[in-house]
Order: sequence, then structure tokens, then C-alpha cells
Amino acid sequence: MTPFELAEPGTLAQAVSLLDAENARPLSGGTALMLMMKAGVLRPARLVSLRKLGLDGIRVDGELRIGAMTSLRELERSAQVKAGWPVITRALRTLSNVRVRNVATVGGALAHADPHMDLPPLLAALGAQVTIAGPRGERRLAVEALYAGYLENTLARDELITQVTIPSMGKTRAAYLKCTTRSADDWPAVGIAVAIDGDEVRVVLGAATDKPVRLAAAERLLKGRAADPKALDEAAEAAAEEASIEGDSHGSAAYKKQLVRVYLKRTVHEARRAIH
Amino acid sequence: MKRAGQSTETPQVGRSVPRLESWLKVTGRAEYVHNLRLPGMLYGKICRSTVAHGRIKRIDVAAAQAVGGVYRVVTGEDIRKLIPEPYYGPAFHDQPVLALEKVRYVGEPVAVVLAADPHVAEEAAHLVVAEYEELPAVYDEVEAVSSKAIVHDALKPAGTFPDLKHLKGKTNTNVALDFRLRRGDPDTAMGKAERVFEHRFRTQQVMHTPLEPLVSVAESTDSSITIHTASQSPSFVRIEIARLLGWPENRVRVRVPFLGGGFGAKLYIKLEALVSVLSLLTRKPVKISLTMEEQFFTITKHASTFRIKSAVTQDGRIVARECEVWWNGGAYADIGPRVTQKSGFTAPGPYDIDNVRIDSYALYTNLPPAGALRGFGIPQLVWAYESHTDMIARELGIDPIEFRRRNLLREGRPQATGTRMKDAALEKVLERVAALMNWNDAFDRGGGTLRRGRGIALGFKACIANTTSLAAVNVNADGSCTVYTSCVDMGQASDTAMAQIAAEVLRIPTEAVTVVHSDTDVTPFDMATLGSRSLFHSGNAVKLAAEDAIGKIDQLRQELHLPADAPIADVFKKKYGMRAGSVMGAGNFIPPYTPPDENGQTDNATPFWMVGATGVEVEVDTETGRVRLTRLVNVADVGAPINPRIVETQLSGAAIMQLGFSLFEKMQFDADGQLRNASFAEYKIPGFHDLPGEIVNEAVVAQQSTGPFGGKGVGETGTFGVSPAIANAIHDAVGVRLTSLPMNPEAVFNAISIKSGRE
Repeated sequence: MTPFELAEPGTLAQAVSLLDAENARPLSGGTALMLMMKAGVLRPARLVSLRKLGLDGIRVDGELRIGAMTSLRELERSAQVKAGWPVITRALRTLSNVRVRNVATVGGALAHADPHMDLPPLLAALGAQVTIAGPRGERRLAVEALYAGYLENTLARDELITQVTIPSMGKTRAAYLKCTTRSADDWPAVGIAVAIDGDEVRVVLGAATDKPVRLAAAERLLKGRAADPKALDEAAEAAAEEASIEGDSHGSAAYKKQLVRVYLKRTVHEARRAIH
Repeated sequence: MKRAGQSTETPQVGRSVPRLESWLKVTGRAEYVHNLRLPGMLYGKICRSTVAHGRIKRIDVAAAQAVGGVYRVVTGEDIRKLIPEPYYGPAFHDQPVLALEKVRYVGEPVAVVLAADPHVAEEAAHLVVAEYEELPAVYDEVEAVSSKAIVHDALKPAGTFPDLKHLKGKTNTNVALDFRLRRGDPDTAMGKAERVFEHRFRTQQVMHTPLEPLVSVAESTDSSITIHTASQSPSFVRIEIARLLGWPENRVRVRVPFLGGGFGAKLYIKLEALVSVLSLLTRKPVKISLTMEEQFFTITKHASTFRIKSAVTQDGRIVARECEVWWNGGAYADIGPRVTQKSGFTAPGPYDIDNVRIDSYALYTNLPPAGALRGFGIPQLVWAYESHTDMIARELGIDPIEFRRRNLLREGRPQATGTRMKDAALEKVLERVAALMNWNDAFDRGGGTLRRGRGIALGFKACIANTTSLAAVNVNADGSCTVYTSCVDMGQASDTAMAQIAAEVLRIPTEAVTVVHSDTDVTPFDMATLGSRSLFHSGNAVKLAAEDAIGKIDQLRQELHLPADAPIADVFKKKYGMRAGSVMGAGNFIPPYTPPDENGQTDNATPFWMVGATGVEVEVDTETGRVRLTRLVNVADVGAPINPRIVETQLSGAAIMQLGFSLFEKMQFDADGQLRNASFAEYKIPGFHDLPGEIVNEAVVAQQSTGPFGGKGVGETGTFGVSPAIANAIHDAVGVRLTSLPMNPEAVFNAISIKSGRE
């Protein structure tokens, strides 16, 4: 690891301006960043810590508002989240391990853009939005639109996620299932989030593709027919067909397509059974 | 674990004494080389080869040397100025301290950058530029036999092992040992056989992943050198460094504190020659700490191919067996030729077979070197012969346990080498695993997409021979005792076991004994801590030393007219008139051994046999191929356990390690020999969530008549049967047979798909 400058700004404006430099990087929990720096993949000259910006905390006012610096562990242990958005609590229990969850943050988990992460597909399926601060003020963006490709988000270099807003679940039932092909705590080969809201079904695939993607063809086939086994079979085929999947160390493309078929069906079943 | 009640006759041995060092470890005070910093110390960072096989055209160190804070950049040619022939290795003197003329695998050390700041050394190491003329490379162990790509121009046996002498100077070959064993008349028996079965099995290259990566520090003067190192073989390191430098052994001091795991990765020489040379070149202390990732380029476990063929009668008697095994040793032989021979002779398995042919080949390839890894080749062999055994039994319609019973190698019967089995509780172990698996009861086979199955496997291992251990025991004037041994405690709790043995002999509490860690200036020679040999060899040496000491003390009691049970402190007080003096006992243990003849035959192949069986129950998800172990049963003959609790954790720990090798661990290379997954993000080892729902461990009631208090080694035994037991259980569940490791979900799913396509 190369030496670097560590800046700890106390205001968002300072943070944004410190980030407007060659080779500057925001530092939230640091769980991914430090590994990439140790491996020499990233060699930042300046790290801008977001710790002193007061961006942590969970608020519920119909919607769920999560400060970007809230740790995954706080989110996991929040009684309000468990009551209103239990699918998030369930997903967090198998997200990496407790050591990582104690340190990693919600904003970092969304901005990192590693497709193998659990929160992006789940929050995209729940219709979550992020609030982004930059030199020209704030903007809002759907989590679904946050990703450009493998380890690439759509944020400018001097933009920061400050908050995540998740709409009330209402009558929506949702589930997130993932499948690992090596150890149980491996990065998933496939992660699928399904949200069923009346007739509407949202399906977001993670891990198998280079960024989380909505599976539109599968969604169309499932519309109003999530309980129909024939529709489910067709949707599983469509999902495996429409997702752009390549082989990697988790498995060949053909095998991962099989996992998409199986896990699409299992996740829809799980969502239909979800209590909410 | 089930255990007998504590004996009052041996109050120290057979007791689950808590590990003596546990308090030091949990409070962060145990000594590890990792924490050692010496004044003026330089840190070395290794630059590694980027090609699998090539001639070195030039190494440009100018840019690295120019980085501020870099002390010096060293290449292989610099080392030649100090040591004209800087090649080392336990079997062959084939491995250069840093690459010379050629590189033979991706990741081979080519140069070292030295700096007082490790980050500077690391940065500068990226700037070393090496150019190669690429040569054709070979990666597969079977192809290596006939490949035109030759890894070493000429073979250079170290001279230590008689069966390698005929390879000296041999050119145009990648075969680093061709071990053969012949018994009876396998050709005739095969020709006349009622049924013949032939199968081929593969294992993959994997790594030890000790939690503490390899680390060594050297400090030197003009006439002496001290090496602080995480090594399982301090005595060997001293001999080899003295040989390389042309120095007497007493000018080389090797110190080893605790190790954070070894598993065979820290044997022979790893970083020790390099840090020694760097310290002598710079006249400063030098430390090299490998990263977890670099360990993949240092030492691994052999990938292997095993062709096995059996002639069997219709009623299930094995009459002949042919074994042909190819071991992928990578670019440097390390201890591979010993794996080839020592494991090779047990390749037919623990069965009574009159006609046997074994050919076992050590191969050089252009992959990272392979050596010893918890089992010394045995898990690769048991994988093949116990899968094969189950396949034959099912084909003949005989229950797999009954088939093994009919062919089992019984006490007193000759094994393939001709050595008669002694103190090998094969029968008991097989029957206990059957009983603990409730083999004769009805079994829930699952349904729908979740199918259940069960399987067992039985393996055995000969302990390495011919090896020596020495020990000394010093009884102090207050009756406390210090044990001096070069046995290394790498987490297996040998300190505690050695203390228990000494305490038992001296009739004092184990807690009154301390164990001095390996320091070749202080502790006597010990071959190495490997192959489950130490409890038996070092344990016997400690026992002899303690007996020597207690004999002297008993004699003093007589001379001083003290009663036979007078406290030791009273003996010294009466002799010296005050608290003074000590009594030193010495122990030298070397068990008998007969080297094999040209057909691999010997009347004494091993000091003792290890026996281990595994039973598993699995659930197979037929839609994804995912296999989950719901139950794991480990049964072993460890003789009489010295410390039952530690025996239990050794059995379960070994089995869990082998579980990773069975189900998902694999070093993945591309077509150019580049390792694709040299990190813990991409090379996964078992975690808590991979543990079977239930684990049962049992040591059968047994005695090793020649062992210390009836005990023998246990470190590897839990690995033997795990892989084939899982394969047999998968077959039982879904009717598909896997013959290649790892049995990852995709492999299982593909096998299920092929089968359902056929049906």
C-alpha cells in the first residue's frame, strides 16, 4: 500500500471540494477500499473520510430514510427496519460477516458497485432512491440507475451518496435469495430480489451480471401470474435468456443461467410466502 | 468424543490437560516471528516471475534502486557471488535462492527489494523489470511424462535418499522419481480374473492457507548467523544453511517460536536461505513476511492422477490390483519424491491383496511447487481407492461395508510391501464407523429436489521412516522440569503433549513442566515436525530423557538414604545443603526400519500405522448440484490418546480442512500457467457455515505398543476418508459418480444432467 493523505472534513461542502482532485477517494467503512489498496488495484493519493459529516442514522416517516454512513449492523439491528422492511433485516444476516457489517456502511455498499453485493439488487427491487450531494447541490436517483458497469457507478468524482430512501412496503411482499458455489460465505454466484406489489412484480438480478439488472421479460410474464407454475417456468427461462451472463470463477455461463432459473422460482415462492 | 475414564495409574497421560500456552495466546503474548523487529532491520519484498517457463534475458533493477528509501535490490546473480551453487531442497538441490538463468513457474522469486520501510520495498518491487525468452511449458502431470517441455536441464538429487541416486545427471526428463512395487503375479491374476474394474481419478492443486503466512528474519555477523523463522523443521534449516554457506553447523542458529499453523507448508527451506543471504550481503537484519497471496506461489499440495485397476472374484475377493499414480510436483521437487514413494506403497489401500503392481511418478511441471500437506499424499490415494472400492461393491451388489470386511488387511497379514500389519486397528475402526453411522438402520433418502445419501471410506498411512528425534529433560532443584525439544508447536499442542509425557515419567503435575521452543543452539536435533511423527518420535525421546533423569534422581534418593517417594526438592536440598543443582536426562529415539528392495519389499516399512475412517450423510440439491453435509463421523486409531480433547480437535480440524479440498478449494490456472485466484476473495476455505450439522469424533480403544504410553500420531488421520466418503454419499443420493476433485455444485449438477439425459 502506498502512503496517502487522510482528510477528515466536518462539512459536506468541504468533503465535496476535497474530492475534486486527481486520485482522491471517499472513505466510508473502508472494508472494500482497503482490500483494493492492499492489492494495488487502487492507489489513491488522498482519502476523504466521511465519518465526521453526521451522515449516520435511521429515520422512519412512512418512508425509511437511512443515512449513508449508517453501518450495516445498525440497519440489521434496527427494530423499525425489522417491523416495516423485514426483507432487509433478513438479507443483512447473511451479508458477508458480522465483522464486516460492524464497519461497512450503507452508502459504501451502494456506491462500491461490485455486482456481487446483496443490497443493490434488493434496494432496487424495493424502489429505493439515493440522495446525492455534489458541488451543484443535491439530486435524487433510483438505486436501479446508480450502476454503469462492473465496479462503476454513475456518480461524478465529487459526488457523494448522503441518504437512501426506501418507500413504505405497503402490501408489497419481497424476498432476496442468493447462491454461493464455493464456501457458504463466498461472494454469491447469483442473487435475486423479487418484490410483488399486487399484480406488479419487480425482479432484479445481481452477482451473475456485471451490474444489478431488472429482468423486464421475466417481470412481464409474471405480471398478475406469480402464483401460476407455468408462468413461473416461462419467467425462469426468460430470465436466463435475457440476462447477459458470462462464466467466471463461480461457474460457467451455462451453470449460472441454471442458477438464475432455479433461484428466480425460489425467490418468487419466498416472496409470496413472506409475511407482511 | 467418547473416552475412557481417567486412569489413576497414569494421572498425567490420558488427561485432557488444557493447552499450556492457551493463556499466552488469548492474551496476545505468545511469541511469533511476525511480531519480531530488530534494530536496523530491512524488509524484503520479492518480485516474481510473470511467465511460466523462460530464460532470463535481463533484469533491470535501476528504477527500483532509484526509489527513495530503497537500500538495495538483489538478484540471483548477486547471490552467486556469495554462494557459487545457491540451490537447495530436501530431495533435489534444484531450487535457486533467487531464479538463475531460467524461471520455471509464474510467481517464482526473481529479485528482492530491501528497504527500512516495508511499503517502500513493496512500491519499488513493482518497478523491477525482467525480460524473458519464453519456453514451451507443461502443466499436466501425465503430459509431463512425455512432454517436449523439460523443466530442469539435468536432475540434481541431494544425495540424502538412496532411491534418488540413479537419477543423478539425468537429462531430457521431467520424472523426479519412478517408484515401483511388485508383489505376487498381478499379470496372471488379472488375466484369470472373473471381473476386472478400472477407473481413473484426479485431484486438484490446493494450498495450506496457514493463518500465519511464511515469515523469516535473519541477523548475521561475519562468522555467525541467527535465523528466526516460522519453520516446522529447524534442524533441517540449520543443516541446509550450513551446507549452502560452507559453515560448521554450530555457527548457524535457528530459532522457532510458536507457529500460526503449518500443515506442511513450513517445512525444509522456504524463506530461510533467502533472508540469510540478504543479511550476509547487507550486514543488516533482514525480514521477509509473505502475504497470504504469496503463499500460493511458495508451496502447495500435489494435484494427481491415479489409474487403479482391480481383479475381483464374483463373490467379492480382490485378487490383484494395479496402481499407477502421477504426482504433479510443480517446478521444484521439494519433498515430492518422498510423497511419491512413502504414499505410493500404500496405494492399493488397507486390503489383503496377494498380487500388486504399483508405479508412482513424481513429475516436474511449470506450476508452483508442491510438497507435504496434512497427509503427505495419502488423501489423494484414499480418494481414488475408496471411490474405486465403493464402485466395485455396488457393481457386484455387495454392501460397501461388507465388501471392505471381506478384503480387509487383518492384524499380522502382509501389506503390499510385505510388512506385516501390527497395532493397526483397521477392523475396529471400520466396525465403529459402521456402528456410528447406524449403517444397518433404515435411512431417510429425502425426496423432490433434495435427495439424501450416505457413504463411508477407510484409509491408512505409514509413518515416515527413517527418522530421529532427540530430547533433553532438566529437573530443577525445586522439582520443576524443563523439556528441551526441537519439536515445533504449530497449533497441534505438542508442547502440552510433551509436558504430559515428561510429567508422567517424573510423577509430577503437567503444569510443573515447561517446554523450551526450538533453538538449535539449545535444543537437540529433531528431524522435523511433520507427517504425524512427533507424538511418537519426539514423545518417545522425551520419555527416554525423563526416564534417564528420574533414574538419576532415584539413584540419588538411594545414595542419600531418602525414601523412594521423597519429593524431588528434598533430594536436591539434602545433596547440596541448600536449593541448588539440577539433573539432566537425555533421550535419543530412532525406531527400527528396513529400506525396501528394488520391488518395494521390506519386512519393516514403518514405525507405526495410522488408521482413519470417515462416514458422511449428505443432502444433494438436484436443481443446483449443491451438496450439504448433515453429519460427519470421524473414527481413528490413534493408539491410546495422550490428551483426548486435543485428539478430538485434531480429528475434526483435519476433516474440516479436507472438506474444503473435497468440495470447493481449487487453484485455478489459465492456459499460460497464471494463477487466477490467488486471494481469499477468490480462493475460499471452509467457514463456520460450511460445518456439517453434526460432527462425531471417536478414537477406538487401541494401543501402539511401541509408542509413548501407547500413543501415536493423529494430525493427519482425520483427512484420509473425507473426499471418497462424500463421493460415495453423493452416489448413494443421486446415482452419479464424481471422479475429480473438487466436487463443486457445478460438477455435481452436470453429472446429474448427464445422467438424466441418459435415462
